[in-house]
Amino acid sequence: MRFSMKYWSLLVFLYLFGFNDSFAQTRVTISGYVKDSTTGETLIGATIKVNKTGKGTATNQYGFFSLSLEEGEQTLLVSYIGYESKLLAIKSTNNKNISVALSPVGVKARELVITGERSDKNVRSTEMSRIEISGEKIKSLPVIFGEPDVLKAITLLPGIKSGGEASTGFYVRGGGPDQNLILMDEAVVYNPSHLFGFLSVFNSDAVKNIDIIKGGMPANYGGRLSSILNVNMREGNNQQYKTSGGIGLISSRLTFEGPIQKGKSSFLVSTRRTYIDVLAKPFIPARLAGNSYYFYDMNLKGNVILGEKDRLFISGYFGRDILDYNSPTNRDVYFNFGWGNSTATARWNHIFNSKLFVNTSLIFNRYDLFNDFTFGTSGFNVKSSVQDWNLKSDFTWFAAEKHQVKFGMNYTFHTFQPGILAGAIGSISVNQTINKQFAHEYAAYIMDEWQVNQRITLNLGLRAVAFNLVGPYTQQIFDNDTQLPTGDSKTYKAGESIAFYPRLEPRASGTYLIDEQSSVKASFTQTYQFLHLATTSGAQFPLDLWVPSSQKVKPQLAYQYALGYFRNFKQDAYESSVEVYYKPMLNQIEFKPGAQLFFNQNLENEMVFGQGLSYGAEFFLKKKTGDLTGWFGYTWSRTTRQFDALNNGNSYFFRYDRTHDFSLLLSYQINKKWNANFVFVYGTGNAVTLPVGRYTYRFGVNTQEQKPEFAIVDVYDKVNDYRLPAYHRADISFTYLAKKTDKWESSWNFSIYNIYNRANPYFIYFYPDVELNEVKAFMVYLFPILPSVQWSFKF
Amino acid sequence: MRSSILFIIVLVFGFISCEKEIDIDIPSVKEQLVVEASINQRFASLNYVFINKTIDYFKPDLSLNGFSNANVFITEGSIQGTDTVYNGTRYQFTAISDSLLPGIYVNPLFMGKENTPYALDITMQDGRKVNGKTFIGKAPFIDSLVHWNEIENNDTNAFFWMQWFDGPEQNNYRMALYNNVDSTLFGWGAAQRFYTFDDELLNNTKRPFRTLRGYDYGDTINIFLSSVGRKEFLFWQSFGNAANNGGPFATPVSVSSNVTGAIGSFTGYAIENRRIILR
Repeated sequence: MRFSMKYWSLLVFLYLFGFNDSFAQTRVTISGYVKDSTTGETLIGATIKVNKTGKGTATNQYGFFSLSLEEGEQTLLVSYIGYESKLLAIKSTNNKNISVALSPVGVKARELVITGERSDKNVRSTEMSRIEISGEKIKSLPVIFGEPDVLKAITLLPGIKSGGEASTGFYVRGGGPDQNLILMDEAVVYNPSHLFGFLSVFNSDAVKNIDIIKGGMPANYGGRLSSILNVNMREGNNQQYKTSGGIGLISSRLTFEGPIQKGKSSFLVSTRRTYIDVLAKPFIPARLAGNSYYFYDMNLKGNVILGEKDRLFISGYFGRDILDYNSPTNRDVYFNFGWGNSTATARWNHIFNSKLFVNTSLIFNRYDLFNDFTFGTSGFNVKSSVQDWNLKSDFTWFAAEKHQVKFGMNYTFHTFQPGILAGAIGSISVNQTINKQFAHEYAAYIMDEWQVNQRITLNLGLRAVAFNLVGPYTQQIFDNDTQLPTGDSKTYKAGESIAFYPRLEPRASGTYLIDEQSSVKASFTQTYQFLHLATTSGAQFPLDLWVPSSQKVKPQLAYQYALGYFRNFKQDAYESSVEVYYKPMLNQIEFKPGAQLFFNQNLENEMVFGQGLSYGAEFFLKKKTGDLTGWFGYTWSRTTRQFDALNNGNSYFFRYDRTHDFSLLLSYQINKKWNANFVFVYGTGNAVTLPVGRYTYRFGVNTQEQKPEFAIVDVYDKVNDYRLPAYHRADISFTYLAKKTDKWESSWNFSIYNIYNRANPYFIYFYPDVELNEVKAFMVYLFPILPSVQWSFKF
Repeated sequence: MRSSILFIIVLVFGFISCEKEIDIDIPSVKEQLVVEASINQRFASLNYVFINKTIDYFKPDLSLNGFSNANVFITEGSIQGTDTVYNGTRYQFTAISDSLLPGIYVNPLFMGKENTPYALDITMQDGRKVNGKTFIGKAPFIDSLVHWNEIENNDTNAFFWMQWFDGPEQNNYRMALYNNVDSTLFGWGAAQRFYTFDDELLNNTKRPFRTLRGYDYGDTINIFLSSVGRKEFLFWQSFGNAANNGGPFATPVSVSSNVTGAIGSFTGYAIENRRIILR
C-alpha cells in the first residue's frame, strides 16, 4: 500500500495541530513541585489528576509537574503511595506555580484516608516494562544478614532474574549484567557490588526510590541494551535535623540529615561499614589469621532552593572494598587488594516558565582497582580504572495539552586505564602499562508524548548517538599464531579518530485505552552499546575490565518489540499486566575458553563475536491497597546465543536462560505495631557447561611409593548443555515498630531467609578420588535457613 | 586471583555454606587420542611419549588409559637456511609393556640436543595418526641460588631464591620443582610445583625467582628450569588453566594443543638442573 503525499501532509498537519492550544478553549498551566510535608523532599512519580476530566500527569524525576487546564474552577487530586491524598481547589485565570506538600500516612490514619496508592497510571501511560520501588519498601522486605538490598529487591520483579543468591548481578530479558545501565543520581556505577557480589553498593538508608526500565526505553535513555536502573538518593530533611541508622549482623549504617537553611536547603550524610573482619576472626583458624576483608561506603547529598525557578543538588558517593593478606608462614609476603566506585553529581533544575523545565548535570564517576603485592625486597603495584566526565541537559517542554516534549543532549568523555604495573624484583625495576584509551560519546534526543485522542497516546522518539575512540594511542600489532607482538605498531595522535560509530536509535511506544480500566500497549526500541565488560565468569568481579568499542569490537545492538495488555480492577486497587517481548541482539561479545583478561595488551584477540535472542511472556498482578498488599510475577522466556567460534557454531542456551521464573511477595499489616512480609521465588536452574570426559596428563612416577602420578584434565563438549537444579526458596520477615513519637522512632526487623532450608546450588564441583578410583560430584549451597535481626532507629 | 577471591568467599561464608554429594547424568564423550611427548638434552627419564585417551567423566577408572600398541618415532632435524628439515636419525620409541605404566614409550638410546628441531610421528594400530614438531633450544644458566629459613615457624619455613640471565630474544620457560624425589625420577608428574611463564615483563636482564610458599626445613629440592618454544608455552599455560579450573567462577577451558590428530603437546625442553638442600 502506498501513501500519497496528501495523506502524509494531512498527518503532519494533524500532528502539528495538536501543539496549538489556540484552537481549543482558553487554557492555563498549573506547575510546581510535590513534596513530603515532614522532610521537604520532593516526591517522584506523584500523580496530579483533574477530578472533572480524569486527566492527569505525574511528577518527574525531580518532583516537578506541569498540567494544562481549562480556565476556571478545577479540583485537583494529588496522590502518592504511602501519603495522604490532597484535594486542591484551583480557581485560575493565569498560569500558576504551586507547591503541594503531602503528609505520610500514619498507622492511625490508614483506615480513614484514601491513600495515594490508587492510580490508573499503569493503564493510561505509554510506559511499559517500567517499575518503581520506594526505599521504604526495600527496607521492609526479608533480608539476609539483616542487610536490605536494592539489587536483590528488583530481582523479585518479572523479567528480571537474579544471578544467584550470592550475586548482585541481574539479567533483564536475556541481557548480560553489563547491559544494564546502573545510575546513582545520574552517575554511572560500573561495579555495583560489595563483597564480590554478595551485597550492592547502595545503602538503603540513603535511597529515595529506584526505577527500572526493562523495555520500551524512552529516547532520553541509552547506552545499554537491556535496562536502565535509576537509583535516586534522598535529598535530606530541610525541616529538622534527624539521625537514623541500623545495626545488622554484618554491617551497620548511620545517616545524619537536616536543614542548612530551614525549608530552603538541606544536607544528608550516610555511611556504612561491615564488620565481617571482626566477627569472623574467632572462627578463622590460626593459619588463615593474616586475612582480613571489609568494605565501607559513604553517601553525601546537599540541595538548595535558589528561588522559585532554580534548585541546585550536589551528591556524591565513595565506597571501597579492602582485602588484606599477610602470610602467616612468610613474614615478608604481604598482599593488599582494593576496589571501589567514586561518583560526584552536580545538578541544576531550572524552570524557564510553567511549560519549560530543564535539568543540567555535570557528573564524574570512576571505578578503581588497586593491588599491592610485596615479597621480601620485591613488590608490585597494579592499578586499573575506568573514568567518565559527563555533561547533560534534559528539557521537558509541556508544549500543549496533547504534547509533552522532551529533548536534550549528553556528552561523555571516557578514559579507560586497563592496567599499570610498577614495581621491582630485587634491584630490577619493572614497569609496564597497557595503553590508556580515550573516547567521546555523544547523544541527542527528542521525544514527544502525543495524546492523539481520548483512547490513543503515542510516544515517539529519536536518539542520535555517536562514539569516537580517539588517540593518543599506540596500537601494537600481534601475531595471531604466537600471540606475540610483531614489532609493528600504529600510532594515533591526540584527538585522532581510531574508530567512529554514529548511529540512530528510533523509539516508539503507544497505548490504546480500551476502557477506563484496561489498555493495550506496544513498543519498539533500538539501542546501541559502546562499552563492554570483559569477563569470563557469570558473576561480575573487581578484576573485570570495561573496554570500549574499537575497530575490531563493533557496538552491540539490540532491537526490542513488546506488546502488553494492562488491566486494573476494583477501582485501581489491583494492577495486572501481560507483556510479550522479542529481542534480537547483534555483535554480542564472549571470550575464548581460558582467555586471559587481566593485564593483556592483546585483549581483543581473546574476544569472539556473535548474536543473541530472547523472547518471552511476563505476567504481573499487584494488590496496592488494604492491609494485605503485594505482587505476583511469572515469566516464561527463552534466551540463546550463537557464536561461530563457540559450540561448533550452534546456538546454545544463555547461562541465565530461565524457562520459568516465579515470584510472590506479600505484605500484611497485622496491627499498629507489627508488619509481616513473605517472599517466595522459583526459577529454572541456570544452564552450565559441565565436563563430559577427562583424561590423565603430565605423567610421572613416584619412585618412593612406586605409583604413577598424573593430573586430570576435563574435556568439554556442548556449551551450557546442563541444567542446575531449580532455584526456589521462601523468606519471611516481621517488622516490629517498638516506638514511634515525634522525637524517637525505633523498629526491629526479624527475618528468616530460606525458611524451608532449600539447598539451592551455588556451584557444582567434581572430586576425583584416586584411592577409590572414582569421581564424585558435589553441589555447594551457600545459605541454609538463616535467621537475622536488624535494629533501626531514627531521632 | 580468582582462586584468592574464592578463598575469601569461603573464608567469609564458609561457616554457613554446605555441600552434598549429588548424582549427575552426563552423556558419553567421543573418544579422542591424548599425547604427551617430552624430550630434552640431559635426562633420559624425561624422554618419553605417553599415549592416552579421553574417557567418560564418571567412568570408574582413573588409572592410565594408555595405548601400548602404537608405532612411535621421533626424528631429528636440522635448520638449513630458513628451512627446517627432518632428515636426521629416526628413533623408534617402544612401549614399556608394564601393566603399571600402559601407554608409555621410551628409547634409551635417544638424547636430545640443544638448538635442534624434532618431529613426532605416531601411527595407531587402527590407522589414526598423530604428528607434532618441537625444538630444543638453549638451556638457561642459573648463576645464583640461595636459601633461608623463617626460624619462628616450626614446619613450612624454608625458602630459596635463584637467578638466571634472560637473553634479548623472546624466551619461554617451564619450571618443575621436585621435593625430596631422588635421582631415579621418571616423568614430570612426580614434581609437586609447576610454573609456566615468559619474558614479557623482564627481558634481556637478570631474571629472579623466589618461592612464596615455604618448604619444610631440611627438604631437598630438585629444580628443573627449562626453556621451551612458544607453542609449547601456550599449551602448558592453557593446561595450567584447565587443570586448576573449578569453583563457582570456573569457565570451560580447552588446552591449546601443538600436535595434530590428538589433544596434547610435543615439548622439547632445554633443561638446567640444580639441587638444593634447605638446611
